[in-house]
This record gives sequence, structure tokens and C-alpha cells, in this order.
Amino acid sequence: MAALPRRIIKETQRLMQEPVPGISAVPDDSNARYFHVIVTGPEDSPFEGGLFKLELFLPEDYPMSAPKVRFITKIYHPNIDRLGRICLDILKDKWSPALQIRTVLLSIQALLSAPNPDDPLANDVAELWKVNESEAIRNAKEWTRRYAMDN
Amino acid sequence: MEEAMTSSQGGESDMDYSDNECYDEYYNIHDDSDIEQIDPRKIDPEYFEFRCLLEEEVDRLLNETVEALSSILHISPSLAKVLLYSHQWNVNEITKKFRENPTSVLVSSRIEPATTPSSLLLTRYIICPVCVTPQPLDKFYGLSCTHMFCKDCWTMHFEVQINQGISTGIACMARDCVVLAPEDFVLKHLQRPNMREKYQQFCFQDYVKSHPELRFCPGPNCSIVVHSCEMKAKRATCTQCKTAFCFRCGCDYHAPTDCQVIKKWLTKCADDSETANYISAHTKDCPKCHICIEKNGGCNHMQCYNCKHDFCWMCLGDWKSHGSEYYECSRYRENPNIAHESVHAQAREALKKYLHYYERWENHSKSLKLEEQTLTNLKARINQKVMSGLGTWIDWQYLFTAANLLAKCRYTLQYTYPYAYYMDAGPRKELFEYQQAQLEAEIENLSWKIERAETTDRGELENQMDIAEKRRTTLLKDFLDV
Ligand SMILES: [Zn+2]
Ligand SMILES: [Zn+2]
Ligand SMILES: [Zn+2]
Ligand SMILES: [Zn+2]
Ligand SMILES: [Zn+2]
Ligand SMILES: [Zn+2]
Repeated sequence: MAALPRRIIKETQRLMQEPVPGISAVPDDSNARYFHVIVTGPEDSPFEGGLFKLELFLPEDYPMSAPKVRFITKIYHPNIDRLGRICLDILKDKWSPALQIRTVLLSIQALLSAPNPDDPLANDVAELWKVNESEAIRNAKEWTRRYAMDN
Repeated sequence: MEEAMTSSQGGESDMDYSDNECYDEYYNIHDDSDIEQIDPRKIDPEYFEFRCLLEEEVDRLLNETVEALSSILHISPSLAKVLLYSHQWNVNEITKKFRENPTSVLVSSRIEPATTPSSLLLTRYIICPVCVTPQPLDKFYGLSCTHMFCKDCWTMHFEVQINQGISTGIACMARDCVVLAPEDFVLKHLQRPNMREKYQQFCFQDYVKSHPELRFCPGPNCSIVVHSCEMKAKRATCTQCKTAFCFRCGCDYHAPTDCQVIKKWLTKCADDSETANYISAHTKDCPKCHICIEKNGGCNHMQCYNCKHDFCWMCLGDWKSHGSEYYECSRYRENPNIAHESVHAQAREALKKYLHYYERWENHSKSLKLEEQTLTNLKARINQKVMSGLGTWIDWQYLFTAANLLAKCRYTLQYTYPYAYYMDAGPRKELFEYQQAQLEAEIENLSWKIERAETTDRGELENQMDIAEKRRTTLLKDFLDV
């Protein structure tokens, strides 16, 4: 395997030294491009109190290509599908090599605080979020309790 | 007769189209010796002038426009390309806008940033924000936005973008910066020959796709580009691979239906394919003796092999009634009280209406394929006749001309059904369906006669050909709106 680019080393160091509040990202022992991520559900969101596991992988051409990120913990959210894939512009066409792992994780945290049912990935969830927001929020809380607490 | 009606197409490769002038002008200049100069579009509604170009010819045509704009505006050819790409190659529009407000054109075309960039720190070493490596200043490059990145990072950025098929749309690496990297900037940072070639190939495709007078031939593995000054939904036929297609949308030619409607129709047919599947059976029962009859020719005028009853394959009605009242077979009669019916009944009615048009659309498409088979059989039959002393090869050629004309007429007829489906009820629709029925009747007559031609006597058949083609042209003249 090729030597780790300076860019990845620098970013990892900074993530360890000044972690983002509410997020932990730890590189895997055997693969420095693979990160174990835990995001705490933001306050005043239906995900509050939950701990959400994600995996983040830096592809060979990172930072020219965006990191690959996926929720491992099940989550009821209009922009996250059953497989944990995330609909986030900066992970797709809005990616810029000047963005970092830190900015990606912050954006994911923000997505939990402010779901966007108009740009859905999970269609049934987005539909309910639009027509009956209170029921959708109840579902999200229920899923958080069931899948993202004390495990 | 038929040849004279078909659209002309360029064959003369020495023709000079350097000024991007329309062929009209070209012909007017060179043909003024002709006394009677009638607009061919008046005679043939499908008349279309176009040329099939090779890649080098397209390159030359594009470069001439690029050079023209770059000398008018005093900008580099690379920037001229960015402007042309974002303005559908309209030199006049760009020039006009540029004279009014150059900054706004450059910003909206993503050549310059919307906000004035902050002045640079001029130290000898700076850290590249992408690879976080400190390097001497002369290793850094930036676009008009002055976001500076090191040479290696630019190269990597471009290679990754190109591998994703992006070329004219490659932007600056800075966050939220939309400034595009022009061709010369990209090429300066690409060393690997295969990358440079790939990049130029992708740019070429983007340029052709953005140019309203150019269209790639949709034929498989064909690299021909069709050029026409008439940006209309007319039929272009590739001289290399013979594919015929609509110049405007690149799909199968679809007159008299327009590009949006045919797209809507094809999407609908794909969505409703299951519902419509049951009707695709090849066999029906004779309405008189109820024996099972298989349709093996394209003609919809059927004759039962058992009781010799003549009937219509589409509606199973007596063929005799189809001479004067064919109208009743091709036309869909809407329920006038449908607005007062239940939602359920309305849905059923909507499906019934769609199936009526779909069945006929599908049936003519099948007939076209079956008639191809008929043509093959025809060749064998003629061969046999010639061998047994019945006429010469030349004597029988008229049958092939007739078969070609039949295919052309039936093709148009097939595409009248989506047109009618989306038409609003009213006198115009009535006229359309009347003409459609007339055309349909003459086509079936022609098909019947071709399948049964036993002599070299061509008079009657040629007469029938003439009538069918006249009906087709009349309908197109009245309804082809391009
Ligand atoms: Zn760099
Ligand atoms: Zn920039
Ligand atoms: Zn072709
Ligand atoms: Zn079209
Ligand atoms: Zn019968
Ligand atoms: Zn009929």
C-alpha cells in the first residue's frame, strides 16, 4: 500500500487533538483510511440521546474525490436510506478538495438537526415527514430509542 | 417520383461552409441561374438540408467560430470556448451582451468570480490547502479567482474529474468557488498523453452537444456529426450508417408528432407496458367462421383462408365498410358524458382511450416489421418468376420501389397515433383523424396490392403509390409543425 499522504496524516492529527464536539472519529488500527465514527444525536432533535455509528472511508484519490460515509446504526431520516447512505451535496457534486473530514462530519451533524424532506433519499420517510411531521418525528424518536441507545 | 420528394443531403465534400452560412444562402448564391426557384419546403414538408461531417470537419467548424469570437472580443481562444459553450455557440448574442456589460457575461459564464478576490500574501513559501505541503510560490497556480493550489494538486484534480467524464465543467478546487478551468489551463497541467486525449475527446462531445446546429448520429458506433442550419424536428439520415433520426431530439424520426409529445408518449408506453401486453397476440378469430387466423403479413386487410371473409384486423369489422368509413376504425369515440361519470369509470375510459391509440401504434409498428419479411419473400417470388420467363429483373423493380414507399407511409401513419392521442377534441382533431383514416385506407390498399402482385403490370400499383404518398404529404403539410 502506498504511503499515507501528508494531507490525511495532518487531518487525522487534528481530529485527534481538537475533536469536533459531539463527534468521535478514530482511524482503524489496520487501515488509516478507514475511520470509526460516532455522532451523538443533536439536542432538540428527534435523535437526541442516541449514539449513531458511521463508517468513513477515504478513497485512493482523496481529497480529489469525496470521502465515502455511511450510517451503520439504523436511523429514521428523510435523507438517509435503509442502507445508511446519505444524501448530502458536499458528498457528491458539491465536493471540493478544499473540504475536509471535519467539514463532512459537521454537515452530517447539521443534517440530523435539520432534515430536508424536499431532497429525499428515503422516499417513504420523506413523504411522511412532509404530510405528517409529528408522526414522522415520533417514528424517528422510536428508532433512536430502539437502535441508537445503550448498545 | 419518390426520389424527388426525399430530402437532399450533402455529398459534396468540397463544399465550403466556413462562414457558418446557411445552405440556403449558399444555394441562392450559386443557383441564381435557375429561373424557377421555388422553396422546396412548400412542396415537401419534410424537406431538410443537412450535411454529415467527420470529426475533423466538425473541429474546423468549431474552431472557426472560436477564432471569430476571440478576435472580436480580444480574448484567448480558451475563454472564447467557455463563452460559446455557455451560450449555445451564439456569437452575436455573446458579443451584444459583452458590449453591454462584460463583467456580467464573464461572471455568469463562470470565467470570473462574482466577488473580487482578496489580495494574495506574497511570501516565498506557502502551504497548498489541498495537500498541506509547503512549497515555493512559483509552484502555485490559480484561475481568475486567485485561489492558489500547487501544480501537482491541479493535475490530480483534473485527472480525477476527467475520469468521471467531466471536461468543460471542471471548476476551481476552492470550496464554493464556481470558476471554471478553461481548456488551456487544464492542458497545461496534464502531461499524460492518454489523459490529454481523453480530455479533448470529452470537450469535443460537450461542444457538439451544446451546439444547436450539430447532432451526433445516434447510430451504434457511428462517429458522424450531422450539421444543419435548420434547428428543427426533421429527419436526418446518416450517410455512413444509414440511421434515420430526428435532428432536434436525436430519437427515431416522429413526424407529425413533435419532440416533447413523442417523449411523453414513449414514456407512457413504457410505464403502461404491462397493461398493454395482452393485446400483442399475433392471432385472432375470424369474425365470421371463428377459425383462428394468424397475422403473417403487414396488411391489416385480412382475408380468412377458410371462409374468404374480408375483415379488418384492428376492429374485426367488415372490410367493405372500410372503403368509405375507415374513419370509424382509426378514430376513437370519446364518451361525451364522461365528466359526470364516477372516478372509476373515468379511469376505465382513460385506459380504453389509451389502448385504442396504443393498439394502432403497436400494430403499425409490427406491420412495418412484417412487411420487411414480405419484401424478402417478394425477392424470392420475383426470382422464381424471372427464372420461369415471366418478365425481367428490371420489369419487377417497381415492386421494390412500392415496398419502400409503403414502409415510408406506414412509418408516418404509426406516428400519427401519439399525435392524435394528445390532441384536444375539436374540429382540428376531426380533420386530423379524417386525414389519418384516409391515409390508413390507402396504405392498406397498397399493402394488399403489393402482397398480391402477380404481373409486371405496374399501372394500377403506381397509381396506388401516388395516392398513398399524396395523402401522407397532405397530412404532413397540414399538421407537421416544425
Ligand atoms: Zn497541493
Ligand atoms: Zn476559485
Ligand atoms: Zn451514422
Ligand atoms: Zn424530435
Ligand atoms: Zn372465416
Ligand atoms: Zn377496422
